[in-house]
Amino acid sequence: MSRIIVVTSGKGGVGKTTTTSNLGAALAKQNRSVALIDADFGLRNLDLLLGLEERVVYTALDVLAGECRLAQALVKDKRLKGLVLLPAAQNRNKEAVRPEQMQKIATALAKGYDYILIDCPAGIELGFRNAISAAQEALIVTTPEVAAVRDADRVIGLLEAEGVNKISLIVNRVKPHMVEENKMMSVEDVLELLGVPLIGVVPDDEKVIESTNRGEPLVLGEHESTPAIAYTNIARRLEGEKVPFLDLLANQGNILSRLRKIFGG
Amino acid sequence: MTFEPTISLDKTDDLPSSSSLVNHYSQIGIKNDGDQLLLILPTQAEINSELPWSETWQELKHLLQTKEQSWQIGTKVCLVAQDRLLDARQLQTIAETLDDVKLSLSKISTNRRQTAVVAATSGYSVEQIQSVDPLIETLTPVKKVPSSTLAEPLYLQSTVRSGVEIRHPGTIVICGDLNPGGKAIAAGDILVWGRLRGIAHAGAQGNHQSRIAALQMEFTQLRIADAVARSPKIRPRNLSPELAFMTTDGIKLAKNSEFAKNYVFSSLKRAWIDRTANSSYKKSKKGA
Repeated sequence: MSRIIVVTSGKGGVGKTTTTSNLGAALAKQNRSVALIDADFGLRNLDLLLGLEERVVYTALDVLAGECRLAQALVKDKRLKGLVLLPAAQNRNKEAVRPEQMQKIATALAKGYDYILIDCPAGIELGFRNAISAAQEALIVTTPEVAAVRDADRVIGLLEAEGVNKISLIVNRVKPHMVEENKMMSVEDVLELLGVPLIGVVPDDEKVIESTNRGEPLVLGEHESTPAIAYTNIARRLEGEKVPFLDLLANQGNILSRLRKIFGG
Repeated sequence: MTFEPTISLDKTDDLPSSSSLVNHYSQIGIKNDGDQLLLILPTQAEINSELPWSETWQELKHLLQTKEQSWQIGTKVCLVAQDRLLDARQLQTIAETLDDVKLSLSKISTNRRQTAVVAATSGYSVEQIQSVDPLIETLTPVKKVPSSTLAEPLYLQSTVRSGVEIRHPGTIVICGDLNPGGKAIAAGDILVWGRLRGIAHAGAQGNHQSRIAALQMEFTQLRIADAVARSPKIRPRNLSPELAFMTTDGIKLAKNSEFAKNYVFSSLKRAWIDRTANSSYKKSKKGA
């Protein structure tokens, strides 16, 4: 059974595309076949983050227009067997696609891949509705900021209304020391408000920017960084493994103990 | 037994007049009627501005999903479309949405000829009625006499999330949280069995007697009739169930247990007054 998962957030700039590329790479590393769909028509980025820009020939729109076959439009990642990208068209906007068409593409891909990850655009308009139309599950990405959490809450409501009930939360860009000093919302605060299960906590790290600029997902890096481990752990949790949450405050163990409290181990 | 008032209060006049709020009830109604369910769409007049169809549909879906499941599988539904114009596609979406919750659309009651034609073409039985039909009057008593009768309470078993607005011409009971960015507007009381972090407006048709109760009051704003109270900057850490009500000085919060003992409603002053006001308890009454 393949799983169609949408990565969404409501607010822009919280790390949807970074999460999609890293999770895709991490899952492929675990010998899963993964198809990433960039649903951000007109503002596509996923190909950049994966370093596949120069290899894009056809886009999802060409497939829909019947100008190429679906298999032709898929860009294969040379580094990882089993990872492919279906790029979005850059020269059109979100109105160029309808929810039924997205559904058609995703279900077609589901026949050949274990995971279909859909990178959702920011906002809750047509682009969002296109992206979620085919999804069976959703990963909500938020940062520990009031605005991001508020938008995430709205998006969870919309997903529930659309019948997407399997929703997990990724809290991105956590700065453990700021949380410690009470200057940032804690993961616990975010969870309490959103009331959906947590699947990952990713610390804020400059290496993320570095890797996105280089077009190489962090999880493929030679030296394992904390965010890379966090993403790999999320991929393992998606696979059903029980992986303890990272201790972001290495010495004080504060977040971990909090999370332990919440999840009873 | 030290009890301090916990919010600063102020009456402001930046609220839309309560009468416009009444007209703004767009809430779709669901009523049991013998062995069938009545699904009542708001009339054109009740939705002042043309409400986009997608919103009406979203609202319907939300309502069906969160409302107490009080119907049997396969229950027939009569859609009371009143003077709403519906096309074939909209009828189909309604039918599909009902189908998702195991209800079946069987009849459409309308007083618009066009809608009746569409419904008949789509194969539903149609009941075309004049707007003065007594049936419609009995279906919508609230809309005819807004201030004296309240609709049955609306019971919601879900968290009201950001962007969701619940309007109901009666009392609203939310078994879950009311999140920031979410809104509940009731003609009667509002009870939140959870955290109230968004905006709650009780007595929206001008009833000063209406109250707002929550297990944890962490609201953005509370409104009762035409009064508004903002959240104070500092709130105690451990919150106990509290109740907000109208006093002569504006909205005030009290612990549930304190309220019943100390307050009575004065219809003369249109406010809850402290029976113990003349005793040493006076200090608990500090207004804006």
